[in-house]
Amino acid sequence: MLRNILKGTPALQQNVNSLLRLSTVETGIQEKKNYATESEAAIQTTKSGLPDKREQRPYSPFQTPMNKVDYALARVDDVLNWGRKNSMWPLTFGLACCAVEMMHIAAPRYDMDRYGVVFRASPRQADVIIVAGTLTNKMAPALRLVYDQMPEPRWVISMGSCANGGGYYHYSYSVVRGCDRIVPVDIYVPGCPPTAEALMYGILQLQKKVKRMNVAQMWYRK
Amino acid sequence: MSSLMKFIGVDKIQKAIQIFQENGGLKASLIKMLRNDELKSGTLVGVDKYGNRYYENNAYFVGRNRWIEYADHYWLDYNASQIPAEWYGWMHYKTDLIPTKDPNRPHHRWMLDHTENMTGTSGQYTPYSTNRPKIEAWIPPKK
Repeated sequence: MLRNILKGTPALQQNVNSLLRLSTVETGIQEKKNYATESEAAIQTTKSGLPDKREQRPYSPFQTPMNKVDYALARVDDVLNWGRKNSMWPLTFGLACCAVEMMHIAAPRYDMDRYGVVFRASPRQADVIIVAGTLTNKMAPALRLVYDQMPEPRWVISMGSCANGGGYYHYSYSVVRGCDRIVPVDIYVPGCPPTAEALMYGILQLQKKVKRMNVAQMWYRK
Repeated sequence: MSSLMKFIGVDKIQKAIQIFQENGGLKASLIKMLRNDELKSGTLVGVDKYGNRYYENNAYFVGRNRWIEYADHYWLDYNASQIPAEWYGWMHYKTDLIPTKDPNRPHHRWMLDHTENMTGTSGQYTPYSTNRPKIEAWIPPKK
C-alpha cells in the first residue's frame, strides 16, 4: 500500500500517521502485528469515545396514528404482522442449483427453523414461495399454477440471477427472463447462486416487509 | 470437591449464574435474551463507532465463538448490514485481527461512511432511466 512505500521517510510517516489518527475513531493503531485481543484499557478508551446517544428505534413501524381508532388498529396490525412474520412457511420451488443453497438454510448451520420458517410441500399450506433457479418457458405455467393455489396473503422470494432476470440464460430461447414476468416478486436475492446466508438475509428482509403490512388500518381508512 | 460438584451437576448451575452475572444481572440478561435470543458470556473485543459491541469466546465452537451485540438504539430493528466493513472480516473469520490491531487497513479521507441497508425506508435507492424507452408498453383495452 501507499503507507508502506512512505514508511522510509520519517517526516512523511508522521504525516501519514496523523492522517490515520484523524480518519479513525480509535487511535490505537499499532505498527506491529498483534494477534492478542485488545487490552482492558484500550476497550475502555474506545467505550468512552462513543457517540451512542441516539433515539431507540421503535418496534412498530406505525408511529403516526390519525386518531384513536387508527391507533387501536395499528396495534391490531402489529399483532397480526408479528404472527405472520414469525411463522412464514415457504414452498420449496427448487428449479436448479439454487435449490441446493435453499436446502442449506434448512440444515443446522443456518437453521431457518429458529425464525419459524419451515418448508412445506403443499402450496395450500405455504405463505411464501421461494423460486430457486432458472425458470424455463415449460415450467412457467406450473409456477403460476402453484402460486395461484397458495392462500392469501402470499409472498414470493426470487432467488438467484436466473429467477431475478434470466441471468446466464437471459438470451436463451427457452427461458423466462425473470420470474417477475409470471408472479409478483417481493424479495430479489442476488447471486449465482446466492449463499445460504444471502437467502437467509432475504427472508429476514421479507419479515421486515411483512412487519409493515397495514391490513386493518387500510380496511378502516377505506 | 470440584469433581464431586461436576458429578452432581452443580457446576452447570454455577455456570448459569456466572453467565447471568456477566451480562449484568437478571433484568439486563432477560433484555439480552429478548433481543439476541440467547445469552452468552465472552470477552468484549471491541466497539465500533456506531456503538455495536463485538464479543469473542473460544470455548464455543467456530461459527459461534464470535458474535455482535448491536447498539442499544437499534433495539429489535437490527440486521447484518449494520456491521461496518472494518468489522466484516473479523466477523466472517477472514482475519483474526480486529481493525484497531491491524496495521494494513487502508484509511483514506475519501472513504465513505458505512450505511446500513436502506431498503424499505425513505432513504432507499430508486433507479431511474434517462433513456427513451425502447419498447412500447401494452395498454389493456378499457371495458
